[in-house]
Amino acid sequence: MHYGLLMSIANMLSNGINSIVNSRIGTQIIMALIEIIAIFAVISVAVIILVYMERRVCGFIQDRLGPNRVGPFGILQTVADMIKLMTKEDIIPKKAHKILWGITPMLLFVPAALVYAVYPFGDGAIFADVNIGIFFVMAVMSQSVLMFLLGGFASENKYSFIGSMRAVAQMLSSEIPMAFSILAVVMITGSLKMSDIVSAQSNAWFVVLQPLAFIIFIISMIMETNRTPFNLVEGESEIIAGPFTEYSGMRWALFFLSEYANLLSAAILTVTLFLGGWHGPLLPGVFWFIIKVFIVIFIFMWISWTYPRTRIDQMMSLSWKILLPLALLNIVVTGIGVYIYKWMY
Amino acid sequence: MQGKGLLVGLGITIKHFFRKKETVQYPEEKLPMPETFRGGKLVLDEKKCIACKMCSMACPNKALDLTVEIDENKKRHMKKYIHKSGRCLYCDFCVEACPTKAISWNRDYEISCYHKDELTYDAVENNRKDDTHE
Repeated sequence: MHYGLLMSIANMLSNGINSIVNSRIGTQIIMALIEIIAIFAVISVAVIILVYMERRVCGFIQDRLGPNRVGPFGILQTVADMIKLMTKEDIIPKKAHKILWGITPMLLFVPAALVYAVYPFGDGAIFADVNIGIFFVMAVMSQSVLMFLLGGFASENKYSFIGSMRAVAQMLSSEIPMAFSILAVVMITGSLKMSDIVSAQSNAWFVVLQPLAFIIFIISMIMETNRTPFNLVEGESEIIAGPFTEYSGMRWALFFLSEYANLLSAAILTVTLFLGGWHGPLLPGVFWFIIKVFIVIFIFMWISWTYPRTRIDQMMSLSWKILLPLALLNIVVTGIGVYIYKWMY
Repeated sequence: MQGKGLLVGLGITIKHFFRKKETVQYPEEKLPMPETFRGGKLVLDEKKCIACKMCSMACPNKALDLTVEIDENKKRHMKKYIHKSGRCLYCDFCVEACPTKAISWNRDYEISCYHKDELTYDAVENNRKDDTHE
Protein backbone atom coordinates (compact mmCIF):
# COMPACT_ATOMS: atom_id res chain seq x y z
CA MET A 1 0.00 0.00 0.00
CA HIS A 2 1.35 3.42 -0.96
CA TYR A 3 0.93 6.58 1.07
CA GLY A 4 2.26 9.27 -1.29
CA LEU A 5 0.59 12.67 -1.50
CA LEU A 6 -0.32 12.34 -5.19
CA MET A 7 -1.59 8.80 -4.55
CA SER A 8 -3.95 9.95 -1.79
CA ILE A 9 -5.25 12.76 -4.02
CA ALA A 10 -5.88 10.23 -6.81
CA ASN A 11 -7.66 7.88 -4.39
CA MET A 12 -9.87 10.72 -3.13
CA LEU A 13 -10.70 11.67 -6.73
CA SER A 14 -11.57 8.12 -7.76
CA ASN A 15 -13.75 7.64 -4.66
CA GLY A 16 -15.55 10.90 -5.41
CA ILE A 17 -16.12 9.97 -9.05
CA ASN A 18 -17.25 6.50 -8.00
CA SER A 19 -19.90 7.96 -5.70
CA ILE A 20 -21.24 10.04 -8.61
CA VAL A 21 -20.98 7.54 -11.47
CA ASN A 22 -21.62 4.31 -9.49
CA SER A 23 -19.82 2.03 -11.94
CA ARG A 24 -16.24 0.73 -11.83
CA ILE A 25 -15.61 0.93 -15.57
CA GLY A 26 -16.93 4.48 -15.84
CA THR A 27 -14.72 5.56 -12.95
CA GLN A 28 -11.65 3.98 -14.57
CA ILE A 29 -12.34 5.68 -17.91
CA ILE A 30 -12.77 9.09 -16.26
CA MET A 31 -9.63 8.57 -14.18
CA ALA A 32 -7.66 7.62 -17.30
CA LEU A 33 -8.84 10.81 -19.01
CA ILE A 34 -7.87 12.85 -15.95
CA GLU A 35 -4.42 11.24 -15.99
CA ILE A 36 -3.94 12.06 -19.68
CA ILE A 37 -4.99 15.66 -19.04
CA ALA A 38 -2.62 15.75 -16.06
CA ILE A 39 0.36 14.70 -18.21
CA PHE A 40 -0.37 17.42 -20.76
CA ALA A 41 -0.93 19.98 -18.01
CA VAL A 42 2.40 19.06 -16.43
CA ILE A 43 4.18 19.40 -19.79
CA SER A 44 2.52 22.72 -20.65
CA VAL A 45 3.14 24.31 -17.26
CA ALA A 46 6.69 22.98 -17.27
CA VAL A 47 7.35 24.47 -20.71
CA ILE A 48 6.05 27.87 -19.60
CA ILE A 49 8.28 27.76 -16.53
CA LEU A 50 11.30 26.31 -18.34
CA VAL A 51 11.39 28.84 -21.18
CA TYR A 52 11.22 31.66 -18.65
CA MET A 53 13.86 29.98 -16.50
CA GLU A 54 16.12 29.36 -19.49
CA ARG A 55 16.06 33.00 -20.51
CA ARG A 56 16.53 34.18 -16.95
CA VAL A 57 19.48 31.85 -16.29
CA CYS A 58 21.03 32.82 -19.62
CA GLY A 59 20.64 36.48 -18.76
CA PHE A 60 22.07 36.13 -15.28
CA ILE A 61 25.09 34.24 -16.58
CA GLN A 62 25.67 36.97 -19.18
CA ASP A 63 25.43 39.75 -16.54
CA ARG A 64 21.95 40.81 -17.64
CA LEU A 65 18.55 40.51 -16.00
CA GLY A 66 16.66 38.69 -18.73
CA PRO A 67 12.92 39.14 -19.34
CA ASN A 68 11.34 41.18 -16.55
CA ARG A 69 8.66 43.32 -18.18
CA VAL A 70 5.59 41.17 -18.86
CA GLY A 71 3.80 40.52 -15.59
CA PRO A 72 5.52 40.31 -12.21
CA PHE A 73 9.24 39.55 -12.72
CA GLY A 74 8.43 38.78 -16.38
CA ILE A 75 6.65 35.52 -15.56
CA LEU A 76 4.13 36.01 -18.37
CA GLN A 77 6.86 36.43 -21.01
CA THR A 78 6.36 32.88 -22.29
CA VAL A 79 2.59 33.42 -22.51
CA ALA A 80 3.18 36.54 -24.58
CA ASP A 81 5.55 34.59 -26.82
CA MET A 82 2.97 31.85 -27.30
CA ILE A 83 0.25 34.38 -28.21
CA LYS A 84 2.65 35.97 -30.69
CA LEU A 85 3.41 32.59 -32.28
CA MET A 86 -0.29 31.68 -32.52
CA THR A 87 -1.15 34.87 -34.38
CA LYS A 88 1.63 34.40 -36.93
CA GLU A 89 1.00 33.64 -40.56
CA ASP A 90 1.20 29.95 -41.47
CA ILE A 91 3.79 29.77 -44.23
CA ILE A 92 4.06 26.52 -46.18
CA PRO A 93 7.08 26.17 -48.47
CA LYS A 94 6.15 25.62 -52.11
CA LYS A 95 8.42 22.62 -52.66
CA ALA A 96 7.74 20.82 -49.37
CA HIS A 97 6.01 17.45 -49.15
CA LYS A 98 2.97 19.02 -47.55
CA ILE A 99 1.50 16.04 -45.69
CA LEU A 100 4.79 14.81 -44.24
CA TRP A 101 5.88 18.34 -43.52
CA GLY A 102 2.67 19.22 -41.73
CA ILE A 103 2.44 16.04 -39.67
CA THR A 104 6.01 16.15 -38.33
CA PRO A 105 5.55 18.66 -35.47
CA MET A 106 2.57 16.72 -34.13
CA LEU A 107 4.38 13.40 -34.45
CA LEU A 108 7.43 14.81 -32.66
CA PHE A 109 5.26 15.61 -29.66
CA VAL A 110 4.04 12.00 -29.38
CA PRO A 111 7.24 10.35 -28.07
CA ALA A 112 7.99 13.42 -25.96
CA ALA A 113 4.67 13.01 -24.14
CA LEU A 114 4.51 9.20 -24.23
CA VAL A 115 7.61 8.82 -22.07
CA TYR A 116 5.83 10.45 -19.13
CA ALA A 117 3.64 7.38 -18.70
CA VAL A 118 6.35 5.47 -16.84
CA TYR A 119 7.89 8.23 -14.69
CA PRO A 120 7.43 7.89 -10.93
CA PHE A 121 6.36 11.34 -9.74
CA GLY A 122 5.88 10.31 -6.12
CA ASP A 123 5.25 7.32 -3.86
CA GLY A 124 3.07 5.08 -6.04
CA ALA A 125 2.25 8.00 -8.35
CA ILE A 126 3.15 6.35 -11.63
CA PHE A 127 0.74 6.05 -14.54
CA ALA A 128 1.86 2.68 -15.84
CA ASP A 129 4.37 0.77 -13.72
CA VAL A 130 5.38 -1.65 -16.47
CA ASN A 131 8.10 -4.20 -15.76
CA ILE A 132 10.27 -2.88 -18.63
CA GLY A 133 9.98 0.79 -17.58
CA ILE A 134 13.46 2.07 -18.34
CA PHE A 135 13.67 0.03 -21.53
CA PHE A 136 10.39 1.59 -22.65
CA VAL A 137 11.80 5.07 -22.00
CA MET A 138 14.90 4.38 -24.08
CA ALA A 139 12.87 2.84 -26.90
CA VAL A 140 10.41 5.72 -27.09
CA MET A 141 13.03 8.43 -26.69
CA SER A 142 14.96 7.19 -29.69
CA GLN A 143 11.83 7.55 -31.84
CA SER A 144 12.14 11.34 -31.98
CA VAL A 145 15.11 11.00 -34.35
CA LEU A 146 12.69 9.80 -37.03
CA MET A 147 10.65 12.99 -36.74
CA PHE A 148 13.75 15.12 -37.12
CA LEU A 149 14.74 13.16 -40.21
CA LEU A 150 11.20 13.41 -41.59
CA GLY A 151 10.94 17.14 -40.99
CA GLY A 152 14.29 17.84 -42.55
CA PHE A 153 13.60 15.65 -45.54
CA ALA A 154 10.10 17.01 -46.19
CA SER A 155 11.22 20.64 -46.05
CA GLU A 156 13.15 20.28 -49.34
CA ASN A 157 15.82 22.61 -48.03
CA LYS A 158 19.51 21.78 -47.95
CA TYR A 159 20.05 23.21 -44.47
CA SER A 160 17.10 21.27 -43.10
CA PHE A 161 18.45 18.11 -44.64
CA ILE A 162 21.95 18.65 -43.28
CA GLY A 163 20.40 19.25 -39.88
CA SER A 164 18.31 16.10 -40.02
CA MET A 165 21.27 13.99 -41.09
CA ARG A 166 23.20 15.40 -38.18
CA ALA A 167 20.28 14.57 -35.90
CA VAL A 168 20.47 10.91 -36.91
CA ALA A 169 24.24 10.74 -36.39
CA GLN A 170 24.04 12.53 -33.07
CA MET A 171 21.17 10.59 -31.58
CA LEU A 172 22.58 7.22 -32.64
CA SER A 173 25.90 8.01 -31.03
CA SER A 174 24.33 9.37 -27.85
CA GLU A 175 21.89 6.49 -27.32
CA ILE A 176 24.61 3.88 -26.87
CA PRO A 177 26.65 5.40 -24.02
CA MET A 178 23.33 6.32 -22.39
CA ALA A 179 22.10 2.72 -22.61
CA PHE A 180 25.33 1.37 -21.15
CA SER A 181 25.34 3.89 -18.29
CA ILE A 182 21.72 2.95 -17.49
CA LEU A 183 22.73 -0.72 -17.64
CA ALA A 184 25.08 -0.25 -14.69
CA VAL A 185 22.17 1.06 -12.62
CA VAL A 186 19.95 -1.81 -13.76
CA MET A 187 22.66 -4.32 -12.76
CA ILE A 188 22.63 -3.04 -9.19
CA THR A 189 18.84 -2.87 -9.01
CA GLY A 190 18.22 -6.17 -10.76
CA SER A 191 15.04 -4.81 -12.33
CA LEU A 192 13.91 -2.59 -15.20
CA LYS A 193 10.86 -1.41 -13.27
CA MET A 194 10.95 2.31 -12.48
CA SER A 195 9.42 1.90 -9.03
CA ASP A 196 12.03 -0.75 -8.15
CA ILE A 197 14.85 1.52 -9.30
CA VAL A 198 13.54 4.30 -7.04
CA SER A 199 12.94 2.05 -4.03
CA ALA A 200 16.46 0.59 -4.38
CA GLN A 201 17.80 4.10 -3.66
CA SER A 202 16.07 4.52 -0.30
CA ASN A 203 19.40 4.05 1.52
CA ALA A 204 22.01 5.29 -0.94
CA TRP A 205 21.50 7.26 -4.15
CA PHE A 206 23.07 5.74 -7.23
CA VAL A 207 25.05 8.93 -7.87
CA VAL A 208 27.23 7.80 -4.94
CA LEU A 209 27.56 4.23 -6.19
CA GLN A 210 27.88 5.12 -9.88
CA PRO A 211 29.58 8.53 -10.27
CA LEU A 212 31.12 7.63 -13.64
CA ALA A 213 27.81 6.37 -15.01
CA PHE A 214 26.17 9.56 -13.75
CA ILE A 215 28.61 11.77 -15.65
CA ILE A 216 28.31 9.69 -18.82
CA PHE A 217 24.52 9.75 -18.51
CA ILE A 218 24.40 13.55 -18.08
CA ILE A 219 26.62 14.11 -21.14
CA SER A 220 24.67 11.69 -23.32
CA MET A 221 21.39 13.23 -22.12
CA ILE A 222 22.58 16.66 -23.22
CA MET A 223 23.36 15.12 -26.60
CA GLU A 224 19.96 13.44 -26.68
CA THR A 225 18.02 16.64 -25.97
CA ASN A 226 19.99 18.70 -28.54
CA ARG A 227 21.24 21.34 -26.14
CA THR A 228 24.46 23.31 -26.35
CA PRO A 229 27.35 22.17 -26.32
CA PHE A 230 25.80 19.53 -28.59
CA ASN A 231 23.05 21.47 -30.37
CA LEU A 232 24.44 20.48 -33.75
CA VAL A 233 20.98 19.71 -35.06
CA GLU A 234 19.91 23.36 -34.84
CA GLY A 235 23.39 24.84 -35.14
CA GLU A 236 22.01 28.32 -35.71
CA SER A 237 25.36 29.79 -36.72
CA GLU A 238 26.03 27.15 -39.37
CA ILE A 239 22.72 25.71 -40.60
CA ILE A 240 20.00 28.28 -39.97
CA ALA A 241 17.86 26.17 -37.66
CA GLY A 242 18.36 22.64 -38.95
CA PRO A 243 15.11 20.72 -39.40
CA PHE A 244 13.08 23.67 -38.06
CA THR A 245 14.22 26.09 -40.77
CA GLU A 246 11.02 26.07 -42.82
CA TYR A 247 8.64 25.93 -39.86
CA SER A 248 7.03 29.05 -38.47
CA GLY A 249 4.32 30.12 -36.08
CA MET A 250 2.41 27.41 -34.27
CA ARG A 251 4.27 24.55 -35.96
CA TRP A 252 7.56 25.92 -34.71
CA ALA A 253 5.99 26.36 -31.28
CA LEU A 254 5.20 22.63 -31.26
CA PHE A 255 8.87 21.86 -32.00
CA PHE A 256 9.80 24.17 -29.18
CA LEU A 257 7.29 22.51 -26.85
CA SER A 258 8.60 19.01 -27.55
CA GLU A 259 12.18 20.22 -27.12
CA TYR A 260 11.43 21.46 -23.63
CA ALA A 261 9.30 18.41 -22.84
CA ASN A 262 12.39 16.35 -23.72
CA LEU A 263 14.52 18.52 -21.46
CA LEU A 264 12.10 17.96 -18.59
CA SER A 265 11.99 14.21 -19.22
CA ALA A 266 15.80 14.11 -19.31
CA ALA A 267 15.87 15.81 -15.91
CA ILE A 268 13.20 13.46 -14.53
CA LEU A 269 15.15 10.46 -15.82
CA THR A 270 18.34 11.72 -14.17
CA VAL A 271 16.55 12.23 -10.88
CA THR A 272 14.86 8.82 -11.05
CA LEU A 273 17.97 6.85 -11.95
CA PHE A 274 20.69 8.59 -9.97
CA LEU A 275 19.29 11.06 -7.44
CA GLY A 276 16.90 8.88 -5.48
CA GLY A 277 13.65 9.79 -7.22
CA TRP A 278 11.14 11.12 -4.71
CA HIS A 279 13.10 10.05 -1.63
CA GLY A 280 13.84 12.77 0.89
CA PRO A 281 13.26 13.77 4.50
CA LEU A 282 10.37 15.79 6.01
CA LEU A 283 8.55 17.04 2.89
CA PRO A 284 6.16 14.83 0.88
CA GLY A 285 7.82 12.94 -1.96
CA VAL A 286 6.41 15.08 -4.78
CA PHE A 287 8.04 18.24 -3.47
CA TRP A 288 11.42 16.53 -3.24
CA PHE A 289 10.93 15.30 -6.76
CA ILE A 290 10.15 18.79 -8.08
CA ILE A 291 13.08 20.35 -6.21
CA LYS A 292 15.53 17.76 -7.55
CA VAL A 293 14.20 18.08 -11.10
CA PHE A 294 14.66 21.83 -11.04
CA ILE A 295 18.19 21.53 -9.68
CA VAL A 296 19.07 19.11 -12.49
CA ILE A 297 17.48 21.41 -15.09
CA PHE A 298 19.47 24.30 -13.70
CA ILE A 299 22.65 22.22 -14.09
CA PHE A 300 21.70 21.47 -17.71
CA MET A 301 21.16 25.18 -18.40
CA TRP A 302 24.34 26.12 -16.58
CA ILE A 303 26.30 23.70 -18.75
CA SER A 304 24.63 24.84 -21.95
CA TRP A 305 25.30 28.53 -21.36
CA THR A 306 28.92 27.87 -20.47
CA TYR A 307 30.34 25.93 -23.38
CA PRO A 308 30.51 26.77 -27.07
CA ARG A 309 29.12 24.34 -29.62
CA THR A 310 31.31 21.39 -30.57
CA ARG A 311 31.88 20.27 -34.14
CA ILE A 312 30.05 17.18 -35.32
CA ASP A 313 33.27 15.13 -35.55
CA GLN A 314 34.32 16.18 -32.05
CA MET A 315 30.95 15.11 -30.71
CA MET A 316 31.09 11.75 -32.48
CA SER A 317 34.63 11.04 -31.30
CA LEU A 318 33.71 12.00 -27.73
CA SER A 319 30.74 9.67 -27.81
CA TRP A 320 32.33 6.66 -29.53
CA LYS A 321 35.96 6.89 -28.41
CA ILE A 322 35.64 8.20 -24.86
CA LEU A 323 32.17 7.73 -23.39
CA LEU A 324 31.52 4.24 -24.78
CA PRO A 325 34.79 2.64 -23.49
CA LEU A 326 34.30 4.36 -20.14
CA ALA A 327 30.74 3.06 -19.91
CA LEU A 328 31.91 -0.48 -20.75
CA LEU A 329 34.66 -0.22 -18.13
CA ASN A 330 32.06 0.98 -15.65
CA ILE A 331 29.89 -2.05 -16.41
CA VAL A 332 32.85 -4.40 -15.82
CA VAL A 333 33.70 -2.74 -12.50
CA THR A 334 30.05 -2.76 -11.46
CA GLY A 335 29.75 -6.45 -12.33
CA ILE A 336 32.79 -7.32 -10.20
CA GLY A 337 31.43 -5.14 -7.40
CA VAL A 338 28.02 -6.80 -7.47
CA TYR A 339 29.65 -10.26 -7.46
CA ILE A 340 31.82 -9.42 -4.45
CA TYR A 341 28.86 -7.93 -2.61
CA LYS A 342 26.79 -11.08 -3.14
CA TRP A 343 29.72 -13.27 -2.07
CA MET A 344 30.22 -11.27 1.13
CA TYR A 345 26.57 -11.19 2.28
CA MET B 1 45.08 17.38 -17.20
CA GLN B 2 42.25 17.08 -19.70
CA GLY B 3 38.85 18.41 -18.78
CA LYS B 4 40.10 20.89 -16.18
CA GLY B 5 39.15 23.78 -18.43
CA LEU B 6 35.53 22.63 -18.43
CA LEU B 7 35.33 22.96 -14.65
CA VAL B 8 37.07 26.35 -14.78
CA GLY B 9 34.46 27.52 -17.29
CA LEU B 10 31.60 26.34 -15.10
CA GLY B 11 33.15 28.19 -12.17
CA ILE B 12 33.35 31.41 -14.18
CA THR B 13 29.73 31.24 -15.30
CA ILE B 14 28.40 30.53 -11.81
CA LYS B 15 30.40 33.48 -10.50
CA HIS B 16 28.79 35.71 -13.10
CA PHE B 17 25.38 34.25 -12.23
CA PHE B 18 25.50 35.79 -8.75
CA ARG B 19 27.36 38.95 -9.72
CA LYS B 20 25.79 42.42 -9.89
CA LYS B 21 24.18 42.91 -13.29
CA GLU B 22 25.58 45.35 -15.82
CA THR B 23 22.35 46.38 -17.55
CA VAL B 24 20.12 49.29 -16.54
CA GLN B 25 16.32 49.13 -16.63
CA TYR B 26 16.16 52.16 -18.90
CA PRO B 27 12.90 54.07 -18.44
CA GLU B 28 13.00 53.67 -14.65
CA GLU B 29 16.75 53.85 -14.11
CA LYS B 30 19.07 56.06 -16.09
CA LEU B 31 22.82 55.99 -16.24
CA PRO B 32 24.34 59.11 -14.66
CA MET B 33 26.30 61.02 -17.30
CA PRO B 34 29.92 61.88 -16.56
CA GLU B 35 30.98 65.44 -15.67
CA THR B 36 32.61 66.05 -19.05
CA PHE B 37 29.59 64.88 -21.09
CA ARG B 38 28.65 67.42 -23.78
CA GLY B 39 24.99 67.16 -24.66
CA GLY B 40 21.46 68.20 -23.91
CA LYS B 41 20.58 71.85 -23.57
CA LEU B 42 22.68 74.87 -22.67
CA VAL B 43 21.90 76.31 -19.26
CA LEU B 44 22.63 80.01 -18.84
CA ASP B 45 23.45 81.40 -15.41
CA GLU B 46 22.17 84.96 -15.83
CA LYS B 47 23.80 86.14 -12.59
CA LYS B 48 27.25 85.31 -13.95
CA CYS B 49 26.63 86.30 -17.56
CA ILE B 50 28.17 89.61 -18.68
CA ALA B 51 26.67 89.45 -22.19
CA CYS B 52 30.02 89.67 -23.95
CA LYS B 53 28.93 87.40 -26.85
CA MET B 54 32.19 85.47 -26.63
CA CYS B 55 30.29 82.22 -26.86
CA SER B 56 28.58 83.04 -30.14
CA MET B 57 31.89 84.26 -31.57
CA ALA B 58 33.57 81.01 -30.64
CA CYS B 59 30.82 78.96 -32.20
CA PRO B 60 32.05 77.40 -35.49
CA ASN B 61 28.52 76.77 -36.77
CA LYS B 62 26.70 79.97 -35.82
CA ALA B 63 24.40 77.95 -33.63
CA LEU B 64 24.01 80.68 -31.03
CA ASP B 65 21.77 83.66 -31.78
CA LEU B 66 22.03 86.22 -28.98
CA THR B 67 20.16 89.45 -28.35
CA VAL B 68 21.74 91.80 -25.82
CA GLU B 69 19.84 94.49 -23.97
CA ILE B 70 21.42 97.49 -22.22
CA ASP B 71 19.37 98.82 -19.34
CA GLU B 72 19.36 102.34 -17.77
CA ASN B 73 22.38 101.57 -15.55
CA LYS B 74 24.47 100.90 -18.67
CA LYS B 75 24.50 97.25 -17.68
CA ARG B 76 24.40 94.62 -20.40
CA HIS B 77 22.33 91.49 -20.00
CA MET B 78 20.85 88.82 -22.25
CA LYS B 79 17.38 89.32 -23.62
CA LYS B 80 17.38 86.22 -25.79
CA TYR B 81 19.84 83.36 -25.76
CA ILE B 82 18.69 81.19 -28.68
CA HIS B 83 20.51 77.93 -29.19
CA LYS B 84 19.82 76.19 -32.48
CA SER B 85 20.71 72.69 -31.40
CA GLY B 86 20.08 71.38 -34.93
CA ARG B 87 23.19 73.22 -36.01
CA CYS B 88 25.14 72.52 -32.85
CA LEU B 89 28.27 70.37 -32.99
CA TYR B 90 28.38 69.96 -29.21
CA CYS B 91 32.05 70.91 -29.47
CA ASP B 92 32.15 72.75 -26.13
CA PHE B 93 33.90 75.83 -27.65
CA CYS B 94 31.20 78.15 -26.28
CA VAL B 95 31.56 76.81 -22.76
CA GLU B 96 35.35 77.10 -23.00
CA ALA B 97 35.16 80.63 -24.38
CA CYS B 98 32.95 81.94 -21.60
CA PRO B 99 35.08 84.16 -19.31
CA THR B 100 32.76 83.84 -16.34
CA LYS B 101 31.72 80.19 -16.80
CA ALA B 102 28.09 81.20 -17.11
CA ILE B 103 26.95 78.48 -19.52
CA SER B 104 26.98 74.74 -19.00
CA TRP B 105 25.35 71.64 -20.44
CA ASN B 106 22.46 70.11 -18.53
CA ARG B 107 23.69 66.62 -19.64
CA ASP B 108 20.21 65.39 -20.55
CA TYR B 109 20.72 62.95 -23.43
CA GLU B 110 17.03 62.46 -24.32
CA ILE B 111 16.86 65.26 -26.89
CA SER B 112 15.06 63.61 -29.78
CA CYS B 113 11.95 65.44 -30.98
CA TYR B 114 9.27 65.28 -33.66
CA HIS B 115 9.56 68.72 -35.28
CA LYS B 116 12.47 70.73 -36.59
CA ASP B 117 11.50 73.89 -34.73
CA GLU B 118 11.65 72.06 -31.41
CA LEU B 119 15.40 71.91 -31.88
CA THR B 120 15.64 75.65 -31.32
CA TYR B 121 15.12 76.95 -27.80
CA ASP B 122 15.78 80.05 -25.75
CA ALA B 123 17.93 79.50 -22.67
CA VAL B 124 16.73 82.71 -21.04
CA GLU B 125 13.14 81.65 -21.52
CA ASN B 126 13.95 78.25 -20.02
CA ASN B 127 15.29 80.04 -16.94
CA ARG B 128 12.05 82.06 -16.67
CA LYS B 129 10.08 78.79 -16.97
CA ASP B 130 12.08 77.23 -14.15
CA ASP B 131 11.43 80.30 -12.01
CA THR B 132 7.68 80.12 -12.56
CA HIS B 133 7.74 76.41 -11.71
CA GLU B 134 9.47 77.09 -8.44
